[in-house]
Amino acid sequence: MFNIYKLGKKFGDLDVLKSISMNIEKGEVVCIIGPSGSGKSTFLRCLNLLEVPTSGKVYYNGIILDADLDSKKLRREVGMVFQRFNLFPMFTVLKNITYAPIHINHMKKEAARELAMSLLEKVGLADKADVYPATLSGGQQQRVAIARALAMQPNMLLFDEPTSALDPELVGDVLEVMKQLAADGMTMVVVTHEMGFARDVADRVIFMDKGYIVEEGPPEKIFNNPKHERTQAFLARVL
Amino acid sequence: MNTLMQLHFGKAAELLVPSLMHGFGVVIQATVLGFLLATIIGMMIAIGRLSSLKIIKGILYVFLEIIRGTPLLVQLVYIYYVVPLLINLLASLFGYKIDMQIAPLTAGILGLGVNYGCYMSEVIRGAIIAVDSGQTEAALVLGFGKYQALFRIVIPQALRSIIPSLGNYLVMMVKDTSLLAYVAVNELLLRTQSFASQTFFTIESYTYLALAYLVISIPLSHLVKFIEYKLKTNRR
Repeated sequence: MFNIYKLGKKFGDLDVLKSISMNIEKGEVVCIIGPSGSGKSTFLRCLNLLEVPTSGKVYYNGIILDADLDSKKLRREVGMVFQRFNLFPMFTVLKNITYAPIHINHMKKEAARELAMSLLEKVGLADKADVYPATLSGGQQQRVAIARALAMQPNMLLFDEPTSALDPELVGDVLEVMKQLAADGMTMVVVTHEMGFARDVADRVIFMDKGYIVEEGPPEKIFNNPKHERTQAFLARVL
Repeated sequence: MNTLMQLHFGKAAELLVPSLMHGFGVVIQATVLGFLLATIIGMMIAIGRLSSLKIIKGILYVFLEIIRGTPLLVQLVYIYYVVPLLINLLASLFGYKIDMQIAPLTAGILGLGVNYGCYMSEVIRGAIIAVDSGQTEAALVLGFGKYQALFRIVIPQALRSIIPSLGNYLVMMVKDTSLLAYVAVNELLLRTQSFASQTFFTIESYTYLALAYLVISIPLSHLVKFIEYKLKTNRR
């Protein structure tokens, strides 16, 4: 789905992404790990044009991503889940989920409601449809955020450290939902610090450091037999 | 004792209060329309100043400096007396002969709207900036455009957070409608002035005038406090 070739991103003088080349195939679950400041989130944000690449080329299904592209269309197909959930606080859970389908996809209210309820069922929060986000725990909010992203029926989902803002005991529920998604065949790119999740669910793990992909491969290879010493040092610290 | 006998509060009330009741209508009309206009102008200036276009930002900055650097009374007089003359002059330069005039109340509402709009724009701008940027991003990644995100997601949250301070501007505006007397709007002050000068019930008239403002502003400011309290306790 994505062909990425020598992608680079600078913020002023700060060189966050230096040269990233990789492909992402349909149905694949890619986990990106690495120390903070390594450019993981920036890389993810380049895939839906929240950041515009400053060098290199990114193709989505053959279409090049640049400042001229209609990013709205791209984002309808490539959904995103944030570290801090970013639910709309003035809407109920249900409205958070149905808002974009109704206003962007011109879905009928009833149909959107049905879709939202089935998604809430899927993330285990069907009883929370009519409450406001602030009354939910972080884990519940994140699951609503996942349902909200799914309601646009995207081709793939980007996860930007989806469990990093959660209390440890709430992480499991969110990861469970993500595992289920992966099992359903959703294409996912997940920036994460959850090594267990990466090991169990990822088809491919990418270790990034200082704006480069240092090492990539299937999880067994990265976790059990890392080649690069920076990967070894990082994993020694987090595992 | 004799001196006090010269006060005629009863008689003054009988004659002045009906007139003041009509004045209330004018005050409410000027405040409601003026505040509506101020909110719209405030929002437009706030959004304009947040845009990335340097020229728009520059123009708005100069405009704000002018409005905030001159008294509301001067602005009202300017709009009522000078603006029509300027328009007529401009028209005659292009060969048209017109005799434009502006109705007192229209001038008053315009003046209040522009003046308060400028002050309120700063509050609105601050509130828009204070809304978490994650809200905009969440809207963007769902496929909303930049302006849809602003109007559908960010501005409703910004306005909600500043309802108390906007309420205070509303109370202030009620009181500032008294300045409209100077552009011949037949509101409370002008009615009282003409009544007092005809009857010489000076003490009585202006006391009633002050009371008339209190009758509006005290309940209104308490209403604003109540809404502020409700918003605080209901913060979801």
